[in-house]
Amino acid sequence: MRENLRAVKGRTFVGAAELASAAARILSESGPIQERGTVRDVPDERTIRYYLSEGLLAPAEDKQGTASVFGYLHLLQLLVVKRLQAEHLPIRKIKELVEGRTERELERLLGSDDRQKNEALNYLESLITSKASAPSPKAASPPRSQYSQPAPPQSSPQRAAGGSRWARVEIEPGLELHVRDDYEPPREARGMQRLASAIIQSISRRLGKRRR
Amino acid sequence: MRVPKIEFLLQRTHLEADREQTVDLLIRIIPPEIDSVIGRRPRLNIGIVLDRSGSMGGEKMERAREAAGYCIDQLLPTDRLSLVIFDDVIEVLIPSQLAENKSALKEQVAHIHARNSTALHEAWVRGGMQVSEHITDGAINRVLLITDGQANVGLTNTDEIVSQAMGLFQRGVSTSTIGIGEDFQEDLLMPMAQSAGGNAWHVERADDMQRIFSVELEGLIAQVAHTVSMGLIPSDGVRLSDVLNDFEMNENGRYRLPNLQAGSSLDVLAQLRVPAQAAGTKRHLLDLRLGYTPQEARSAEVLKQSLEVEFVEASRLRELPVNQEVEKAVRLLMNARARREAMAHMDRGDYVLAKAVVSSAISASAPLFSRENASADIREEQQELSELSSALDDRRKDSMTRKLMAYASYRRSNSKKR
Repeated sequence: MRENLRAVKGRTFVGAAELASAAARILSESGPIQERGTVRDVPDERTIRYYLSEGLLAPAEDKQGTASVFGYLHLLQLLVVKRLQAEHLPIRKIKELVEGRTERELERLLGSDDRQKNEALNYLESLITSKASAPSPKAASPPRSQYSQPAPPQSSPQRAAGGSRWARVEIEPGLELHVRDDYEPPREARGMQRLASAIIQSISRRLGKRRR
Repeated sequence: MRVPKIEFLLQRTHLEADREQTVDLLIRIIPPEIDSVIGRRPRLNIGIVLDRSGSMGGEKMERAREAAGYCIDQLLPTDRLSLVIFDDVIEVLIPSQLAENKSALKEQVAHIHARNSTALHEAWVRGGMQVSEHITDGAINRVLLITDGQANVGLTNTDEIVSQAMGLFQRGVSTSTIGIGEDFQEDLLMPMAQSAGGNAWHVERADDMQRIFSVELEGLIAQVAHTVSMGLIPSDGVRLSDVLNDFEMNENGRYRLPNLQAGSSLDVLAQLRVPAQAAGTKRHLLDLRLGYTPQEARSAEVLKQSLEVEFVEASRLRELPVNQEVEKAVRLLMNARARREAMAHMDRGDYVLAKAVVSSAISASAPLFSRENASADIREEQQELSELSSALDDRRKDSMTRKLMAYASYRRSNSKKR
């Protein structure tokens, strides 16, 4: 559904027929399966006019000749109405749910169903969102000179220049780890081993320099 | 589906009495054949994620296009295919669709050309989304990531990408990886496929691409079970001292095994420390618990089997025939370990030690190599090790040598075809 919607975002539909066929195409590719006989599978022109008169769809914003010009918002409203009808909600209730919603909210109403059904997609979307908000590890690591500063005796979270929080953990006297608060250790044994050997390597590299 | 079969194989059918000993136990897991009456293969929902960064230019790109075209040819009209191409920009070239119009799909593939750098992680996510949008129960929902380079745009942390690939697998979409040439990150692509329920492939030469594609597809079609785990519970007094395959453990302390494919059995080698027993005793040594999810089912099934062995006097034992399969499995898995050890030495820059490890693997394998009836895989192992040994003298070959070792060791441990 999401991909199909993305393809028509920002488009206009001239006339109820064009809006109906756009909705029909999206529903046939990904829409809910409706019980035949109770609610029409796909909306037609007449249904759209009926929805407009009931206030389920917002009035058209523009006219081209005699034809109303509809936009992405109308398409979303139409899709949400069809979906809610398929769930056997009364028209009055549907109107309450749809009226005054923004495009984003309507998208979410359409998406929420997918979300429950499709954990995989939900998961991948969360990966993209979290990536956009979290600073990259490289940018957030403190400048190298900080490593040589004397550390406070207790472990305490520190705010680094990038705005991320770091905690100092003493491993043994003379050796500390800096851990950013959103750091997640590897879950698998192999990852832990890799981590351990990376730590050992950087320590021995440092000792090597000192001896020279 | 019919259930897998488990065979316990010892070097001899009995064990020697009156002696504490370490016993090599070959556990052979034989997947059931696909029911020929039904004759149906699982539906495929494949998302190819293809690197088109600059380094893929020339022959590699040409072969990748051919391989993708080959893949399209193999699909049934009920299978789904999507194709995401990436460099630093990600493009959904073919949104997920039924493979109905093959010539139109192939036409699109024909126009892919190489350019720019490598946003591997995000491309994988986008490819995963194409597959996830149409995730189908009972089908094989798989992302096929093809790259020749290093992830250098976006998220590049190996552990994070690997754990995300595992996260997606737990939600029903697996990932296989195909690394081409000598510049990709085997330490990313191999663990990624292993933790994501897929296969890791190394294409050494571009002209090998289509063969690898066909092995991957055959494997998908033959897949009978996924999310396979094995628990080994030794009985009192017996100790499990090693599992030579070095499988990862899952959160329940069971070994994570590769997917089961009809026609390819999986060899696991466990070493048990067994206390002395009087001749004539029959003793229970081990319980095995195999967990798996059949391809067409949603829930896991469990198969249990226990091993009981009789102890006989040494003189009688020596008269019993030796099962050569056990010795071979031990040796090949030990050699797989030797490769991993040699890799670790290489990474530290200790090439002398790396070579010494390979040389001692070669000499330990001498009895195997000198068998008169040596099978093709033994001959192959012999040749590989000797090539490896000489390659370790040439620093220009290091990157390729490391990959050859990594993938050979992975294949042995997981009973994968080359």
